[in-house]
Amino acid sequence: MMLLTLIGFLLLVPPVAHLFNHDFSILGVPQVVFYLFGVWLALIIATWALTRRLEPDPDIETGEAEE
Amino acid sequence: MLSADLVIATAIAYVGLLFVLAYLGDRRARANKKIWLNSSTVYTLSISVYCTSWTFYGAVGNAARSGLEFLTIYLGPTLVFVGWYFLLRRLVRISHLYRITSVADLLSSRFGKSSRLGVLVTCIAVVGIAPYIALQLKAVTSSIQAVAGTSEFGRGSLEGIDDVGLAFGVAAGMALFTILFGTRHVDAKEQHHGVVAAIAFEAVVKLAALVAVGVFVVYIGGGFEGIFSRAADLGIDFASSTTFDARWITTLVLSIAAIVCLPRQFQVTVVENSNENHLRVAGWAFPAYMLLMSIFILPIAIYGLSVMPANSNPDMFALTLPLNAGQNGLALFAFIGGFSSATSMIILESIALSIMVSNHIIMPLVLRFTPSSQGDGQGMSKMLLVARRFSIVLILSLGFSYFLFTRDSDALAPIGLISFTAIAQFFPALLAAIFWRDASLKAVTTAVTVGFILWAWTCFLPSLDSLSPAIAALLVEGPWGISWLRPQAMFGLEGWDPLAHAAFWSLSVNVLILTLGSLLTTPSALERIQATAFVDVFRRRGMPQRNFVRGSATANDLFFVAERVLGEKRAGALFESAARESGVEPAVLDPTPEFIGRLERELAGSIGAASAHVMLSKVVAGGDVSLEEMMQMADEAQQVIEYTQQLEKTSTELRLTAKKLEDANAQLRELDSQKDEFLSQVSHEVRTPMTSIRSFSEILLDSDDLAPAQRRRFVSTIHQESLRLTKLLDEILDLSALERGERSWQNVPVDAEEALDRALLVCDALLRQKGMSVEVGERAHVTMVEGDADRLCQVFINIISNAVKYNDADEPRMWVSSTVRGGSYIVEVSDNGPGISKRDRKLIFEKFWRGVEGSGDQGGAGLGLAISRQIVARMNGSLELVQGAAPGACFRIRLPIVGKRN
Repeated sequence: MMLLTLIGFLLLVPPVAHLFNHDFSILGVPQVVFYLFGVWLALIIATWALTRRLEPDPDIETGEAEE
Repeated sequence: MLSADLVIATAIAYVGLLFVLAYLGDRRARANKKIWLNSSTVYTLSISVYCTSWTFYGAVGNAARSGLEFLTIYLGPTLVFVGWYFLLRRLVRISHLYRITSVADLLSSRFGKSSRLGVLVTCIAVVGIAPYIALQLKAVTSSIQAVAGTSEFGRGSLEGIDDVGLAFGVAAGMALFTILFGTRHVDAKEQHHGVVAAIAFEAVVKLAALVAVGVFVVYIGGGFEGIFSRAADLGIDFASSTTFDARWITTLVLSIAAIVCLPRQFQVTVVENSNENHLRVAGWAFPAYMLLMSIFILPIAIYGLSVMPANSNPDMFALTLPLNAGQNGLALFAFIGGFSSATSMIILESIALSIMVSNHIIMPLVLRFTPSSQGDGQGMSKMLLVARRFSIVLILSLGFSYFLFTRDSDALAPIGLISFTAIAQFFPALLAAIFWRDASLKAVTTAVTVGFILWAWTCFLPSLDSLSPAIAALLVEGPWGISWLRPQAMFGLEGWDPLAHAAFWSLSVNVLILTLGSLLTTPSALERIQATAFVDVFRRRGMPQRNFVRGSATANDLFFVAERVLGEKRAGALFESAARESGVEPAVLDPTPEFIGRLERELAGSIGAASAHVMLSKVVAGGDVSLEEMMQMADEAQQVIEYTQQLEKTSTELRLTAKKLEDANAQLRELDSQKDEFLSQVSHEVRTPMTSIRSFSEILLDSDDLAPAQRRRFVSTIHQESLRLTKLLDEILDLSALERGERSWQNVPVDAEEALDRALLVCDALLRQKGMSVEVGERAHVTMVEGDADRLCQVFINIISNAVKYNDADEPRMWVSSTVRGGSYIVEVSDNGPGISKRDRKLIFEKFWRGVEGSGDQGGAGLGLAISRQIVARMNGSLELVQGAAPGACFRIRLPIVGKRN
């Protein structure tokens, strides 16, 4: 979870974001727009998948271990 | 075409619908039928109060003006929610355990229940949020004006009313609505199920409205591709190199802070959370909601730029595009969507702020100025509600004032970012509160204060530049002409974006002071307790805070306090349940510390932790003293622990001693049995010669006819036997005399080598008899030691003869060597005999010891080695058994050389 936040942050700030800022389009959408929404969607799906794998009522001890 | 009257009527009808929804929601919640109210869907939708009219109108305008920047406002919260497990879960757990009601409550509770910090945070929040509320008023006003401006029915009832009047009307309406909504009763946990239901409904409305407009725009604009190609035609460049600059990072960080620290977000995400598991859904669903919200913003902005006249307000594109296309129904829906997003924000924000104001500013004042003996049952509860209503009016009028001052600026998003920067000042303190044990009250207070002052100087003040020429002049020249204090170029940092500049200075100084200050100051006892309770919230499950140790208060006093705040019914229920648990009548309930702790948390749920603490301190005599007592108790506990550790240590020592004693005892027993054996041996030894002496003397007495030769032989045998006896007795006497130190001799320098040679010579006959070969190794030549030559010779003879006597090898051999090493003269005598078993090694130098396997016919009485050791010791040397090269035993004699005795 924590890792997801950190990776997300790194992907959304320069210099990584700059890498995808080129002047061409995918399906008529500029690459950078496509990239930002793509990262966003990926984050949402990853969180959803991770949350499903966590115990419904996380135990306190395992909760500490996770962090 | 829509008329302004129709729009206003729709808005009022919509508010009426919301009110009905909230009322029904409350009814269901009270009837405990909150199945759908309590779901994670409603929870997630209520969090989306984050998407205000800033999103609905402002984001479009922002996208039209500065491209992709608007995305950061939603990407920041996404990052926070994606990591919900890390931060939000902890916040929710802490708030549930300690009945936290707001950010101010969290910080004041964590930092030693400080009321001053609570007041500070509340004031900053109220001032900082004012621009944000102004933004909503502005959005609503502009949207109504946008509709009215294009209306062919003229301005209707709006004739003669300008922006200010309209905004005032909106603000007044909102105040009334919020008061009706949020302050009908004081709730135990500050949860407003009805309001949350209404907010969730509004979330659906605004999403649907924006998506509807978006789909419409994409449809008439020729799909995404068509719209983006329009952008290219217009020369709008999203891929500009300046997109990802300092401002991008700044807004991203600010939105991360805002989603946690904004009073209304804290309210819906943390305080209104009724089940931690709802976060699991919100973790991905809220980002998804924001994704849906923002996916159409860019197309709307681009299409608006391409078809609307150049001077139209891009903030209103969501509304003006459908109007322009003649889609009145859609335009009305869009208006409702925007209205919806504004109302939900204003309602929740003012409720959250009013809770902060009443709990942290008004309640402490009331408590200070009214003696606790006054007041009737429901008084406090009523007072609380009045305080909240007053706060709501205050907050909205502040927002309205800000709107009044800044009505000339037209963009929405920059106004919101001013608020974000103010609220972000809490973020470092909040993180420190729940993750850093050493963060201290003084540091946090200073850090937040300085951060706020810097914000006011670099961010808030410049936004008011149109208010007076003095401010504008200040911006250009700095105060009193000091150029390095210019609000937008502090310390000569010029050329930065004003927002990035303000955020950089205020937040970095804030963090710096917080960190350094915490390291330099020592937190108080209460702070330490609270720090542990907050930071270790997942380590200890539901540990009650016990700041009041000895209940000097009676149940009556406590009930009185509880009744004032909670009302008679809830106070009664609380006391009855406590009485039932302890099995006594409510009247004679003994207030245990646990109960007082529970009562404090209940009160905290209504009036905040600091106020609850103050109130109970008044009743429970000497709250601070109790705390000292507690620390003392902790010290006592520490002493007991130390004492126990000492006891343990002592008992370990005792165990060791006992073990040693046991060993000694075993040795004694061994010696004792040896001694018995020796005595019988001595008796035997003495008896054998005595028997022969007696029998030979009897023969001599009785027989007169013995040949002289025979008689002579008998007499000589008697003589020999007597000599043997004498020798044995001499040895015993010698040893005991040596041991008691009675037998002494003069230690004089003697040649040890000479004594060794003499001993070898004496033993020559013995060796020959046994057929034992002697190998003389290295010799030391003339070496002088302190001692007695005869005694030394006796020791050598004893050891050599032992080696001979106990050797049963087929080819008995012996090695003798002498060296000088390290100032000592060393003689080693070893053989290839059976050696000495490990068990016997300790015993061989004991008196009366005889080789266990050695049979009685070996002669000696088992005193030889004991005597030898005594003699060597008397010469300041040592005699020991060592591990030699040969298979048998190896004895080493070590004597100090003359002149080098040290």
